[in-house]
Amino acid sequence: MRPLRRGLCLLSSLRTPTWSAAALRPLFVRYNSSFSSDQFAQLANRESSQHQIYQSLSTDPYVNLSIEHFLLENAPPDSSILFLYINRPCVVIGRNQNPWHETNLLALQNDREPNTQGKSDNGALLVRRRSGGGAVYHDEGNLNYSVISPRTTFTRDKHAEMIVRALHRVGATNTSVNDRHDIVMSTGQPQPRKISGSAFKLTRHRALHHGTCLLDTPNINRLGSFLRSPARDYIKAKGVESVRSPVANVSSVFVDAMMPFSIERVMASIVEEFAQMYKVDADAVRRAQRAHALEPELYAGDTWVAGAVGEHQGYGEPEIKKGIDELTSLEWKYTQTPQFTFSTYPIEDDPRERPPLLSTLPHATRVFLRLKHGAIIESHISTSGDVSVASEQAARVHEALNGRKLHEITPAQWHKILLDRLGADVEDKTLLELAKFIGSKLGWDTSL
Amino acid sequence: MSAVARSVRPFASRVLSQKLPLAAACRVSPAAGFPRGSVRSFSQSPFMELKKYTESHEWIELAADGKTAKIGITEYAAHSLGDVVFVELPAEDLEVQAGEPVGAVESVKSASDVNSPVSGKVIQGNAILEDKAKFINESPEGDAWIAEIEVTDAAELDSLLDAETYKENYAKE
Repeated sequence: MRPLRRGLCLLSSLRTPTWSAAALRPLFVRYNSSFSSDQFAQLANRESSQHQIYQSLSTDPYVNLSIEHFLLENAPPDSSILFLYINRPCVVIGRNQNPWHETNLLALQNDREPNTQGKSDNGALLVRRRSGGGAVYHDEGNLNYSVISPRTTFTRDKHAEMIVRALHRVGATNTSVNDRHDIVMSTGQPQPRKISGSAFKLTRHRALHHGTCLLDTPNINRLGSFLRSPARDYIKAKGVESVRSPVANVSSVFVDAMMPFSIERVMASIVEEFAQMYKVDADAVRRAQRAHALEPELYAGDTWVAGAVGEHQGYGEPEIKKGIDELTSLEWKYTQTPQFTFSTYPIEDDPRERPPLLSTLPHATRVFLRLKHGAIIESHISTSGDVSVASEQAARVHEALNGRKLHEITPAQWHKILLDRLGADVEDKTLLELAKFIGSKLGWDTSL
Repeated sequence: MSAVARSVRPFASRVLSQKLPLAAACRVSPAAGFPRGSVRSFSQSPFMELKKYTESHEWIELAADGKTAKIGITEYAAHSLGDVVFVELPAEDLEVQAGEPVGAVESVKSASDVNSPVSGKVIQGNAILEDKAKFINESPEGDAWIAEIEVTDAAELDSLLDAETYKENYAKE
């Protein structure tokens, strides 16, 4: 604690003269050099890098979120940073959410089964971010903006308002910030459509605000299908539940307009608004505006850094690589889940009526799981209508399930466990149906 | 640094001894070694001195045993974060350095780390918060503490902010 505070005093005393010197220096001496992208970490951490504007060349959500996290943790404490990126199709859940409850795992790329030869589809990825909030869908028509700034001057609306000004500037004047810090668009329908969702991560000195912005996604009409879980009726989860909102593309405003809509124009406009808000050097803005997908180059002046970053920086900088490894790990994606129950019948924690069971299962079938850190800590799986037989069945199954991580149990393993434990008194056909039922509700493809 | 630590180490136990019956005081610290005068001067500092604050809005309160402490977020932090919807509690036996996360809270789409003000080892997270995260907004500096830790060196508390300094400098709107 003490050394840390002393360190910070030192930083600010060092920085003050730098600032005043920069202010006194005549404009024309300002240099404006190009740097190799290897120097990203160094430039981002540089004490004088007060304003930083980056675009990502990568569409990998794990890389982009980890570059962003690196900037949050490492850039100077009073710097202001804008980072723009577009991810390949993925569903991003909030830090304290439940992937079984908030997403349709079956519609996403299966990351739970190792070595699924020939099955490595190009489906959307599952991502758990480090910030709070709910689940969102991303693809190539969705622009992500991220602003990292000092915590002391941060408010939850200031950067959403900044984006709204940028959208107004390109002609989307029917957009505004709502009371959930999201951006909505009034379209003449009774309920405004959400076009941008916000989430925040606060650290000791810094505030990160990142948001989506649905500019022109081709999947606007099926985006809900990625976010609708087959287990919604069965799962009751602690943590954070998503709030469902009707959505629209910003591009829908421009359908009849003379000028075609372009994502690049929106990006340029956001850079412009960010520069105005934080009084960024004009050279930095010029460089940021010229950062194009084919120029992996960084530029820096006395007080700023601008340019393009991507996978090279992501994997090249050990600390960013560490972040990528964490985000891609199944531990982070699945076992970080807050406690939850899965139950096919009403229980004290979740007394909702349940949908009727499949007719192929015995009428008395019960499936109940309680999970902590993604592992089974309590369960009741039985098929018998006789209470004492049922509890005896459940005890046998639980022996095999206790402590197992839910995401690691494939439908084949469910079948094997049920067969091992209940095979003596229940028909195999029934157990196979039961394994398929459980597997399908937990997002496995059980058609095979 | 270590010399400073050594000279201030008995601070907590000296304050404590004022609040305990004589026999207990003798057991807690080798009080016989203290000059009388210094004991008298310390009797003026209130017991609340054992609750300290950080500029990142955590509080820590040393228990009467001088070895364990509870950590939470301040009234100001709870108010400015808004409705807390989830609290990530630390795992038992987690070893933390001063300034490292000992938990996290989520409110209004914001994840915020709760940093441990001093080094130590986690005894337990506050299980009440598992079911009722919002309790943090009701009693942030009372029963809605986040973690209980075994403090590595109680002298580390001395370098933290006292209530007055914290409220004066860091808890203003």
